[in-house]
Amino acid sequence: MRRLMRIYRVLIQTAWATALEYRAQVLLWILSSIFPLVMMVVWLAVVDEAGPLTGWGRADFISYYVGAALVYHFTFVWTVWQWEEDIRTGDLSPKLLKPLDPFHYLLTEQFGWKVFILLFVAPLVMVIAWASPAIHYPITVAQAAAFGLSVAAGFMLSMLMTSAFGVLAFWSTQVSNLYQLWVGVGSFLSGWIAPLALFPTGIRQVAYWLPFRSTLGFPMEILTDRLTWPEIGFGFAVTFGWCVVFLVLYRIGWRAGLKRYEAVGA
Amino acid sequence: MRNYFRLLGIFYKNTLIGELEYRLNFWANLALSLFWLTWAALSVRVYFFHTDTIAGWSYPEMLIVMGLFFFMNGYRQIVPAPNLSRLSEYVRMGTLDYILTKPVDSQFLISLRHIGVYNWGDPLLGLGLAAYALWRLGRVPSVDQLLLFVLLCVAGMVLLYSFSLILQTPTIWLVNVERVDAVVQGLLETGRFPINFFRGWIRGMLTLIFPIAFMTTFPAQALLGQLNWGMAAAAIGLAILLFTLSSVFWRFALRYYTGASS
Repeated sequence: MRRLMRIYRVLIQTAWATALEYRAQVLLWILSSIFPLVMMVVWLAVVDEAGPLTGWGRADFISYYVGAALVYHFTFVWTVWQWEEDIRTGDLSPKLLKPLDPFHYLLTEQFGWKVFILLFVAPLVMVIAWASPAIHYPITVAQAAAFGLSVAAGFMLSMLMTSAFGVLAFWSTQVSNLYQLWVGVGSFLSGWIAPLALFPTGIRQVAYWLPFRSTLGFPMEILTDRLTWPEIGFGFAVTFGWCVVFLVLYRIGWRAGLKRYEAVGA
Repeated sequence: MRNYFRLLGIFYKNTLIGELEYRLNFWANLALSLFWLTWAALSVRVYFFHTDTIAGWSYPEMLIVMGLFFFMNGYRQIVPAPNLSRLSEYVRMGTLDYILTKPVDSQFLISLRHIGVYNWGDPLLGLGLAAYALWRLGRVPSVDQLLLFVLLCVAGMVLLYSFSLILQTPTIWLVNVERVDAVVQGLLETGRFPINFFRGWIRGMLTLIFPIAFMTTFPAQALLGQLNWGMAAAAIGLAILLFTLSSVFWRFALRYYTGASS
C-alpha cells in the first residue's frame, strides 16, 4: 500500500507537469466548454416567459449552472478514447510490461488534470460566485464536505464507467461511439439539460437510480441545499453501488479481453 | 476557375472512395446522426413542459433552428474543421512551404484540400428536421421565402468559414493553437437556440462579433416569413466583408511566415 501511494505521487506529479506545460490549450478547452452556460441562458429565457418554475427562479438557475460548469470539469474523464487507442494500435503492449496495471496510469493522469483545474479554475469560479449577487450556495460546513466527497465519488464513478466501456475495445472498434451514445442518453438524466427537480416525477425516480446523476446533478443538488441528509445518504449509496458494478464489469472485461489480446498475437 | 473545380474533383474522389469501402461505418454514422438529431429534438421538449413559447418561439419553430444548427455543424465538420485544424501541423512540420510553392492559391489549398466525410448525415438530416417542423406548423414557404432562406444559408456558411479562418490564422505566429476549432464549435453550440433567448450584450456579441445568429436564427426566420430582403442584404454584405477580411488577414500573416527549415 505504501509503495502504491509513492507510485501514485510520482505519477500525479508527472500528469500535473504535463497539464502545466499545455496550460494554454487547457484554458482554451475550458473556455470552449460553455455548454452548461448555454443551458442556463435557455432556462433564464423560460423563466422570463413563464415565471419561476416550481420554486426555481433566475438566481437558482444561475447558481445551479455556474456550479455545474465547474463540477463537470472534475467528473468528466476522457479515458475511453485512451483505452480504445491503446488497444487498437497495440500501444497497450509496452504498458503491459510495466509492473503496474494500466488503470493506475490512466487514473493518475486524469487526477493530475483535476488538480490543475482545482488550482486554477476553481478559484476563478469562486471569485465569480462571490462577486455575483445572483449566485448563492447556502450550505453548512458538513454539506460542503458532502459536496466535495460527492464530486470525488462522481469522478471515480466516471473513471470506472469509462474503463468498463474502454475494455470493450478488445472486441469492437465502435467503442467511443457506443460510449458517446451512453453519455448522450445520460446527459438527459444527469441534471445537465435540466435540473432533475424540473422533470416529471416518473422520469426523476428513474434518474435517481441510474449512475448519471452522480456525475453532475447529485453534487449540484447538495451544493444548492436541495437535499435532506437521508437523501444525500441515498445518493451516495447509489453512487458507490454503481462504482462496484462498473468495477466488476471492468475487471471481467479486462481479464477476458487480455486473453483475447494475446490470442491476436499483437 | 475550371482548373480549381477539377482539382476539387481529384481531391475528394479519393477520400470518398476510401470512405465508401467501410460500408458498415458509413451506415453506422448515419444511424448515429439520426439518433443525435432525434435526441436533441426530444430533449428541448423539456423546456416546453413549463411554457408554450420561449422568447416568442414555439416548439416547432425552435425545431427549425435546431435543424439548421445540425446543418451548419455538419457543414463545419465536412469543410472548415478538417482543413483549418491542420494549419497548426502545416506550420510546425513545414508542410506550408510546399503549399506556398504550388501554382494554386494558398488560401484555396488550406481551406478546401480535405473533406470530412464521416459526418455527411448531419446536414441532410438537419434540413429534414426543419422541413418536418414546417410541416407540423402547416406552413409552406413561398418561392420568395425559400430563395431568401437559401441566400441566408449560403451567407451563414461563408461567415462560419471566414470566422474560423480569422481565428485560425494567428497559427502562423503562434504555431500551436490546436484547440481553436473547439472554440468555434463551442460558439456554434449557442446556435442550437434562437438568438432571442440571449439577452443584452451576449446577444449583440452573437450577432455582430461572432455572427452565430446569421447561421441558424435568421435563415429559420426566413422560412417562417419573419424576415425581409433588407436583412438578406445585410447578411450578404456581412459575409462579403468578413470573407474579404479573412482573406486579407491570411495574406498579411503569410508575410510573416518564415518556414520551418529556414
